[in-house]
This record gives sequence, structure tokens and C-alpha cells, in this order.
Amino acid sequence: MDNDYWSFESCLSEQQKIPCTLKLEVGNHGNLLGASESDLHVGGKVSIPMWLAPTLILNDWLDFNIPPPFMQRVKRALNADARSVRLSALVGNGGEWYGFGKLVADILEESQAKELQGVLLTTFKERFVDLMDQAQHFGSLPGSAADNMGDRGSDFREGLEMTERELFLLGQESAKAVRLWYESTDRKEH
Amino acid sequence: MALPARLMLSPLPEELEFIALQQTDILVRPHFTMGKIRLLSGSYGPFRATANIELPLWVGKYLKQQGKCALVPPSWLNPDWLEEKLKQEMSKPEEFAPLPFRYAEIAKVFLDIAPEDVPSPERVRSLLKDIREVRQAKTRKGLALVDETELRMTGLGSMEINELRPFLIRAMGVMRVLASVPEVPGTQDNSFAAGESGSRMEEDW
Repeated sequence: MDNDYWSFESCLSEQQKIPCTLKLEVGNHGNLLGASESDLHVGGKVSIPMWLAPTLILNDWLDFNIPPPFMQRVKRALNADARSVRLSALVGNGGEWYGFGKLVADILEESQAKELQGVLLTTFKERFVDLMDQAQHFGSLPGSAADNMGDRGSDFREGLEMTERELFLLGQESAKAVRLWYESTDRKEH
Repeated sequence: MALPARLMLSPLPEELEFIALQQTDILVRPHFTMGKIRLLSGSYGPFRATANIELPLWVGKYLKQQGKCALVPPSWLNPDWLEEKLKQEMSKPEEFAPLPFRYAEIAKVFLDIAPEDVPSPERVRSLLKDIREVRQAKTRKGLALVDETELRMTGLGSMEINELRPFLIRAMGVMRVLASVPEVPGTQDNSFAAGESGSRMEEDW
């Protein structure tokens, strides 16, 4: 989540690609940018990984577009009901939707950045109570009894993105620890 | 740190129980007579059969497990008191009823090793469970109000706080990052500047 050099999550967020438009001629380096031909021209479209994008954009070599996971369509869906959007489908399995979103917000202008951050934050807040609920529920059930949950729940769980998955695990683990403690006994058997 | 990951996030429930055992004093009615004993943590005794004596909970637990005493439950560990708290808990959806901070741990120890010393232990057990469930529902409601800087819930017990801790710390961390102002581009690479990088790495590891 954080921008730390050593953090795996930040590596995962940074490898998401952002669609860009070229502002200069690139001769013979097309394949480095993931294109099929070797020469790229002004106005050509390339997808750049997020870790590379800020430098290129800052130097005015590229223009970027808002990447698909944060487009209006998604925002509208989130507005309608944040809990029914499958974030994992937007960034691929194991992708970091929040982390990626924050990186995109960091290169946007101030007003746009504020708006996107607002979307990220409300989405997180609206989802995390449900997340906690389900995590605790799963942690406090012994073994496989957890399989017979409602459909809405399983849809929600499959739609979790990476940060949320970690949170789910944390909640589940602590609920499990408490359950095991309640079940444990120090009574000596006679 | 070489601790397993699950131990680094928060104390285990067992560790909280250990703390409660150390910190709580209870009344014990010994079945034996013996002079004072001196231990590292203090001296206890002299013990006289059937005369109540105040001891740390861990001493009481130990003696009870040997079958050498009866424990006197704290004033709040009985069906009437708990029932009243349960009512209070239900009638005020906004706040947590005042319970002893380590009520969960102490009640667990009593019901586990000395159910015969607790008045109607089965009712106490089920009341405690009800209270726990009502409070969990409240916690959930309270969580909806959390933001990146603070969470206000007063009256939670140590076990309840502990159960929330790993999840909440992480979640608030995420919110803090999401709400933070972007770093000024171009200054983020300063950590590679000469002299600083070496010392930073040592700190991080």
C-alpha cells in the first residue's frame, strides 16, 4: 500500500499498466514499450507500467489517460453500490486496486486527484465493514461449516482485491484465535 | 524479528489471559492451613482453612487446579449482575455497558477451572455469550464511523480490542495512505542520496 521501496504490495501496484499517448518519435525502441513495430510515432498509443510512467510523463514525453479501472463507468457502479463491484475483476487476480488508484491520483492534477482519492476512500470505507463482518464470521466458524454461506457473500469475497484479501485474512485469524481460546480448557481431567 | 507473523500483530488471547492472571486479585478460601510462602512476586499467606484470603488470580488458579481451595467469584460474576448489564447493553444501542476491562479473561478462567464456585455457571456462560454478541454487533456499527485518523468506541474490553487490533490497524493504515497528499514528483528519490541510504537500510532491517 505504501510507497516503500521494499514493499511487495507497492511492487504489485506499480506493475499495473497505464494507457498513454506518445508526444515524441521513438525510433527503434517500440518493442521496449510493448508495441509490435519498432518505430513509434507521435500520437501512437502505448501501455506503460505504472513505475515507469511518472518519469516519462514529467519529462513531457507522454500524455496519459485515466486507466480503465478508474473510469466513469466504474465510478458510477461504485456510487450505486460499492459492495457489489468486483474490484478483483478490474485489476486482475491479485491486483492492487487501491494501491494502483493512489499511484494514478499522485500523477493527476490536484482537483482530479482529490476526486479520485475521494472515490478510493469512500469505496474502502463502504466495503470494509462488510469485509470485517465476513472475516469474523469465517474465523468464528469451526472447519468447513463456513461453506454454506449465502450467494451474495461469496460474490463479495471473490470480488476482493489484494489489500482487502489481506485484511480479510487478518480479521479471520484473530477471530479464530479468540474462538480457539474460548474453546480451550485448563481443567485437569480426573 | 524472528517471531512468527501471527505473534507480531497483537498479543494472543492466551497472553491476555496471562496478564489478567497476574493483575487480578481475588478471594480464595483454602482447604488447608499453612504458613506464609515467599515467592519472587511477593509473599502470600499465612493460609488458614476456610478463612478467605486475597491472592493473585494465578495463585488461586494454581491452588484450585490442585484441589486445595475454593475460589470466591468477583461481585460481577453472577447471573443477576450480568442480566442487568445485558439489559443495559440492549437498551442503549449507542454505548457499551461498563464491564470490567478484563471481564472476558477472568470469567473464562472461573468458568473453566472453577464452575462449581460460580453461582449457576451455565446461565452465567450463556449470559456472557449474549453480552459478547450484542457488543460485537455494536462494534460493527461503530466501525462504519471510522476514518483515517480516529475511531471512537469507549468501554470495550481488552479481549474485544485485541480481536479488532490487527484488522483495524491495517485498515486505518490503508485509509491514511489513500487520504494522504501526493508526494511532490521528483523529490521521492531522495532516499538514494549519498550517505542517507546506508543508514536507512540498517534501520529498516
